[in-house]
Amino acid sequence: MKYAIEKPARQVAMVMDLNKCLGCQTCTVACKKMWNTDGGTDYSYWNNVETLPGKGFPKQWDEIGGRTDQGAVKRGKIPNLDSEYGRAWSFNHKAVIATDAASGKKEWLKPKGKPDWGPNWDEDEGTGTYPEDNHYFYMPRLCNHCTEPACLDACPRQSIYKREQDGIVLVDQDKCHGYRFCVEACPYKKVYYDYQRQVAAKCIFCMPRIEEGVAPACARQCPGRLRFVGYREDQEGPIWKLVDKWKVAIPLHPEYGLGANVFYVPPMSPEKFDSQGNGTGEPRIPTAYLEQLFGPDVHKALATVNAERDKRKRGEPSELMDILVAYDWNENFKLDGAVREVI
Amino acid sequence: MKQTLQLIAAPTVMQPGGYVPEAYKDRTQASTPTVELTAEKAAARGWRIELQWACPQPVSSIANETDLFPDAAALMVPVVADAPWITMGQEDKPVEAALWRADREALYQLQAEGLGTMHRNDAPAGWSAQSQWADGVYRLVFQLKPWAALDQHGLLGIALWRGAESDRGGLKSVSSGWVSVS
Ligand code: SF4
Ligand code: SF4
Repeated sequence: MKYAIEKPARQVAMVMDLNKCLGCQTCTVACKKMWNTDGGTDYSYWNNVETLPGKGFPKQWDEIGGRTDQGAVKRGKIPNLDSEYGRAWSFNHKAVIATDAASGKKEWLKPKGKPDWGPNWDEDEGTGTYPEDNHYFYMPRLCNHCTEPACLDACPRQSIYKREQDGIVLVDQDKCHGYRFCVEACPYKKVYYDYQRQVAAKCIFCMPRIEEGVAPACARQCPGRLRFVGYREDQEGPIWKLVDKWKVAIPLHPEYGLGANVFYVPPMSPEKFDSQGNGTGEPRIPTAYLEQLFGPDVHKALATVNAERDKRKRGEPSELMDILVAYDWNENFKLDGAVREVI
Repeated sequence: MKQTLQLIAAPTVMQPGGYVPEAYKDRTQASTPTVELTAEKAAARGWRIELQWACPQPVSSIANETDLFPDAAALMVPVVADAPWITMGQEDKPVEAALWRADREALYQLQAEGLGTMHRNDAPAGWSAQSQWADGVYRLVFQLKPWAALDQHGLLGIALWRGAESDRGGLKSVSSGWVSVS
């Protein structure tokens, strides 16, 4: 980081337990409907859920730069709307409406043209051979509201800032001139370009809700109850317990070196089968693959989750399992009450 | 009077923030190496300034795309005589500029007191530009009336951005200093 940024008074953060994600995209839609229905952002998803192993959204985002795997600056690529994000499809609505049952003229609803890419295009494909080792899991992604944001450091106009009161990373769109260095520089590809207003746009961690003590829409709407929201430093809250106390929640691609404030409980998986259909004892999702995503801490995190689950199976108490099960989903969220002055 | 100016790549190492200087440290060649400048002042009509430069692949629309940048050109003038050129002025030594973008009809007026401080507003009523691209060459004519800072100092700086090279912000070809047009 070249710009000096003040350490915020506290940092909002999120943990997602990947063992519980259904891939239902309720979070994606909750976010999209709330913040991104305008023309210039029709293609963008501040929250997306991708199937891994898979290409992700935008396509191969982890290969198009911003940071090296040593955390050094590396020139990034601005994703192309057609080949990497996927242009929002247009449909033959007029022709369908003109369908005339009497004359037998029928037109089914379908996209115009022949789309060959879009968000979630490779949903549920995964990899491996059935039944030996086929596998996939869902990976919900949003801006990490990084401690040292690459997007912020990339803006020559200092249009991106980290809020003092809660560490949310925001774009001042009145200052932004649409240069898109932030889009290039974010290795998670979580800054988008509003091509109508010609400014950068990114996840705001549902800032107006946070100011009312309410968790972001993606988290509140999640039927899998897998999202936890709170302050990073709050030892009474779920984030500190999962990240610092139990050390089962770890950031995605820690090697980028940005200090992500979104954390994941990595996915456990059933064992592989040999050619006779007998379990081999090895997890279907190769731990080496998870290490590529989450770094070496994934081993310890998985070992802890497995051990605590076994404890619970034996009928013994486990604070960790009680948190992850989320008996009362209200307890997934621990934010202060309203801090916004209502005018 | 027509002058042919050699342009240099604006030094990316000076750009604010940690990303641009590092990611673009290889940008040492001007994407547009020369420009022809003709500047005339007619008392009643103000300044007529013409730029001509080679551009094999013009980009005049960036609509409905995420990764396109428009061709653009700016004329910058010092508001005080010793405003530095290469940093777009500095604190208390402002510069002003007229910015043309190939994807817009109207000009912008810019004000800056150093890199990263530029403010962009709609240009005053007397400012306009007409552009034409043919056979790989842009011809751009600014009509600027009035422009007190240019009247006073008679100095101009030129900046050109080539959309096809993803030029924008500090990624630009610039004259190597102030050019006298008086
Ligand atoms: S994830 Fe990307 S957009 Fe979000 S704060 Fe970090 S660098 Fe910026
Ligand atoms: S709403 Fe929850 S369960 Fe559904 S895709 Fe999003 S994170 Fe997964």
